[in-house]
Amino acid sequence: MTVLYKSTVTEIGELVPSFIAEGMLVFFGESAPEELRTFCIIHKLEHAEGQVREGDVVSIDGHEFDVLSVGSVANDNLYNLGHLNLKANGNTVADLPGDVSIAKVSLPEVSIGTKIEIFRRD
Amino acid sequence: MAEYKAVKIDKGPGGWGGPLTIKPTDARPYIYSVTGGGIHPLAQKIADLTGGIAFDGFASSKKFEEIAVAVIDCGGTARIGVYPMKKVPTVDIHATSPAGPLAMFITEDLLVTGVKLDNINLA
Repeated sequence: MTVLYKSTVTEIGELVPSFIAEGMLVFFGESAPEELRTFCIIHKLEHAEGQVREGDVVSIDGHEFDVLSVGSVANDNLYNLGHLNLKANGNTVADLPGDVSIAKVSLPEVSIGTKIEIFRRD
Repeated sequence: MAEYKAVKIDKGPGGWGGPLTIKPTDARPYIYSVTGGGIHPLAQKIADLTGGIAFDGFASSKKFEEIAVAVIDCGGTARIGVYPMKKVPTVDIHATSPAGPLAMFITEDLLVTGVKLDNINLA
């Protein structure tokens, strides 16, 4: 297993539940401007290496989800801004260039201290 | 009082919305780059042509009501709606269309996408 990305949630915006209700989690790094923080999960990067692609696994406090598709700008967002749009929409082709899609599942609870990991199975 | 000029910003190939006409004022002088990695060249060009002040939104923040235009590199979910929701004209360098939970706030007079340097010209 190769860990590509590892972070810890440090802050949760008040509008995050309405995004979760639509099956999406929007992450941003700690430098995100104030106005984005209301609907974002802010996380602190601990480790980053390599590009995320289909077949990788996103783990949220140990709940694992297979990545079905990765939009064309998703890796740039993730590595430049700590920004990730994780969508539980089952799309095998990314709808929007910023999307990382997983199966249509109910998303786990996210709270301060939640561990995010993206890894590749060997 | 600074002298400001207006620019017209058209959508780029495959883009959506606009055209936007942007003219900063003393109350709204900032060309707000929310792209990470410093001021985006599009924001710099808008600032150079209009006389507005290029500002890096990831370095620190400005109030919505001080922003003449926001420049984003949004993949279509979040930033694409945040600034239009607050009636701030927004330029996306990516050719996205309105989507996400904030799509209801996005109108053609508030968002233009797929914008390239050539799409920004003095009005």
